[in-house]
Amino acid sequence: MNHLLRFSSECGRGAPGFRHLKSEISDLKCAVTASPAPQWLFLAVLALVLLSGCSKKHAEATRDIGPEAEAYYKAHLDVFHFATPADLPKDLVWHDGSDVPEFSAPEAKRGGTFNFWIPDFPRTLRYLGPDATGSFRIWLLDYNSITLTQRQPNTGQYFPGLAKAWAYGRDGKTMYFKLDPDVHYSDGVSVKADDYFFALFLLRSRYINDPYTNNIVTERFTGITKYDDYTISASYREPKPDLDDILGGLAPMPEHFYKELGDDFLQRYQWTMEPTTGPYIIKPEDLHKGSYVDLTRVPNWWASDKRFYRHRYNADRIHLEVIRDTDKVFEAFKRGDVDLFEKITLPKFWYDKLPDSDPLVQKGYIHKTVFYNQAPPPTWGLYINTAMPLLDNRDIREGVAYASNFDLINHQYYRGDYVRMQTGSDGYAEVPFPGIHARPFSVDKALECFAKAGFTKRGPDGILVDAKDRRLSFTITTPYERMRDVLTILRQEATKAGLEFNIEILDQTTAFKKIDEKHHQIAFMAMNVGISQYPDYRQEYYSTYANKPQTNNFTNTADPEMDKLIDVYDRAQTMDEIRRLARQLEQRVYDNAAFIPAFEQPFYRAGYWRWMKWPEGFNVRFSIDEYPYADGLYWIDETAKKETLDARDSGRMFPPEIKVFDQWKARDE
Amino acid sequence: MFRLDPITRRKLQRFRSLKRGYGSFLVLCGLLLMSAFAELLVGSRALIVKHRGHYYFPTYTAFHPGTDFGEDYSYETNYRKLKERFATEARGDWVLLPVVPYNPYENSFEEGIYPPTPPSFSQRHFLGTDTTGRDVLARLFYGFRIAMIFSLLFLVLVYVAGIAIGCAMGYFGSAFDLIMQRAIEIWSNIPFLYIVIIIASILTPNLLLLLGIVVLFSWTDMTYYMRTATYKEKARDYVAAARVLGAGSGRIIFRHILPNVLSLTVTFMPFTVSGAITLLTALDFLGFGLPPPTPSWGELLEQGTANLNAPWIVSSAFFAMVIVLSLVTFIGEAIREAFDPKKFTIYQ
Repeated sequence: MNHLLRFSSECGRGAPGFRHLKSEISDLKCAVTASPAPQWLFLAVLALVLLSGCSKKHAEATRDIGPEAEAYYKAHLDVFHFATPADLPKDLVWHDGSDVPEFSAPEAKRGGTFNFWIPDFPRTLRYLGPDATGSFRIWLLDYNSITLTQRQPNTGQYFPGLAKAWAYGRDGKTMYFKLDPDVHYSDGVSVKADDYFFALFLLRSRYINDPYTNNIVTERFTGITKYDDYTISASYREPKPDLDDILGGLAPMPEHFYKELGDDFLQRYQWTMEPTTGPYIIKPEDLHKGSYVDLTRVPNWWASDKRFYRHRYNADRIHLEVIRDTDKVFEAFKRGDVDLFEKITLPKFWYDKLPDSDPLVQKGYIHKTVFYNQAPPPTWGLYINTAMPLLDNRDIREGVAYASNFDLINHQYYRGDYVRMQTGSDGYAEVPFPGIHARPFSVDKALECFAKAGFTKRGPDGILVDAKDRRLSFTITTPYERMRDVLTILRQEATKAGLEFNIEILDQTTAFKKIDEKHHQIAFMAMNVGISQYPDYRQEYYSTYANKPQTNNFTNTADPEMDKLIDVYDRAQTMDEIRRLARQLEQRVYDNAAFIPAFEQPFYRAGYWRWMKWPEGFNVRFSIDEYPYADGLYWIDETAKKETLDARDSGRMFPPEIKVFDQWKARDE
Repeated sequence: MFRLDPITRRKLQRFRSLKRGYGSFLVLCGLLLMSAFAELLVGSRALIVKHRGHYYFPTYTAFHPGTDFGEDYSYETNYRKLKERFATEARGDWVLLPVVPYNPYENSFEEGIYPPTPPSFSQRHFLGTDTTGRDVLARLFYGFRIAMIFSLLFLVLVYVAGIAIGCAMGYFGSAFDLIMQRAIEIWSNIPFLYIVIIIASILTPNLLLLLGIVVLFSWTDMTYYMRTATYKEKARDYVAAARVLGAGSGRIIFRHILPNVLSLTVTFMPFTVSGAITLLTALDFLGFGLPPPTPSWGELLEQGTANLNAPWIVSSAFFAMVIVLSLVTFIGEAIREAFDPKKFTIYQ
């Protein structure tokens, strides 16, 4: 689940439990995290043009990265260890997940095409390097990648992935893996220990143009050992309670694919998908630039009949049409061109545009479902730049928090579907923060705070001014056009407390660039939270990342006390310790008042055509994403599809289905 | 200024006699006048408040905190609530509200009712509310004001630049004309809409910035007409006569040629105005216009088309647009007819 090695490069600057910018609450993911500097974009385009023009003529002497990699292993024997099976510790206890229950539906039917949509054409098919953080990444990696061990998304236990058995070293920071000899890439080449060596080499290499990943991987993954072709071990810097996620999240990389690796990595691998061990592959002929991408199920996929993988990833093809506008997607969905519409989770679709009384629902063609899941929600909120004048004053920040009426927005604009997010680290089952609550809207308290900062007088327009005649006015920058309404309400309500918000809605790339370079005063956005068992504070609150472009410390928090705590926290070895330190950290985050939590939704909704089928409980408790298709449990019933489309023409009706699945709903809150 | 010659006066008389066009002209002037004093008709601030023997006129003054009228909050008084309170207290205090007692920015949320809400006379939301509970009529009205300010400023700037450069090209001719013509051809080939979109997505444009960008790419059209007209007039006998009398270029252009070519520009004016309104609306519709929460027709249309289940939003904006553009077009037609040279040209 937590493909750490992959993620670290994907989502920019993260550590375990990566969070990344999420562009929309339920569509784009990880939009521009590593914020491709425009020069990169330009370079990539230029390179592409050049490449397409002269690559054929320029068939230079074929490179072979093999010897270089070998030499690298030799030069770094402290990391890359070669051993024999005899060197394996004798007392290892091997786990194989045989006691873990499966979670797919045995009645699932293989075949058919899942017709779906993407908001933008991918900028690259590379997993690594600039632009690889685009919204398309989920289809290449998150939903499609199998790692050494995988977490059962209902029980939290681990089951075999690329390793058929694993064991824990006595030092608490090493794991041993017996690789499954059946595993092969989509191009038929089988996966061996060398591919893990190569993965580590690639992630540490300069070719991928990603110094952050280089650093993280080099610092944290301290060793990998090959015992034979199908036995390896890997070590982390320090013992961790979620070692299964971290080391089990490793995945191999095919050396034969990257044979010609060189300085032209970015261009050379721009539009070819790496051979995968996952269920779907993009064939070159299925890439129609600007209009659609098709994913095909890997023929003879090695895991087809294995436990935990059988009855999953059932569709033979996934058709991803580029549709840039949500309302158009909705129309396409109503026409039956798109099988599932997840944005229906928004009140305007759920209540107004496709109400339960809609003929399509009433005739049973489209089914509506509410599903309560348990995953840390994207962190919607105001990120205050503490390096800006006035906002460097804690009292003003606290005042801004009291003057931000998210309660009204949740209650009236979102019709109570959304609830107030209490902390930026909500939703971790193991690490709750019962004592910390977001500051409620209160004009009096806001005025009190502003008064402490010297803002006591209201100007002729009702906005507070201080003795130096400075107005209490800040600009909120956001990349999300559709948050316009939310921000106008926020602005209107803030004037009651004598605070003016100017709204700046920018094009996504421009906005993320501005925020990444820390030129914003206040940013309104959300970060996506990776599947981890505890929050990550380093990337958002560590002083090293403050006041620097291209980091996730959007609040520019630089607090030596906090740094010390984060250092200790990151090396915490037990869950109790993590819980204790996280509380302290979260309290500091609250006291600092630089992040104002906005809202979260404890469930997601889906609308889908009758021919999309689901397991009995609909979906899993901790899904990869808040989308029902993420874990590959659905299947497409082509007979039902024909039947439904015929029925639509003839007017035949089916029983309507509007369901609520609340088996995972958090109780007594 | 120019003295109106008898022919122009006759043209204006003719315009006045064209009922549809002249009527439209009066209606539009009326609307403009109303929008100039929009705060008196549409707004959340009361026109007059009588409180404990004192009269207050909050419309154009600094804001009155609620505490001024005995409310318990320090922000801007909610005069609608105040009116209700005064009515229940019955102490002789009263509030006179504008016809539409909402400003275009405030979100009026009612418990249990989710915006957009349909038109309601009891709530005085005569055209309903939009997706965030703002009064549609208020937004239309203030949107009209902004659109008119935009288009009139646009008109002035484009004509000043277009006429000056066009006249100069026609009058001086030769190399200046040749170079300017090429320059204009190149300039007008820049895809202006894309430029606007790019700039708007990087900066957040305000009215003047947006106007500046639009004018920068729109002045060229006028130069073509002015250039040819000036060429034509320059060859006339009266210009030669003026020159023989020793008149300089400035005097000839401003006193002799301009008044004679002006009728041409007048006929274009209404169409320029309607073009500017449409342009601003289109940009707002696409989200590249004025920043939220500026009231704008384009934004209303966008909201309306995205929420067809709330037809009052889209239909209000649509009909407002149709009415104003029709008025402008009627005026344009009437001017064109009144200024038609065939009616008055006298062949010698």
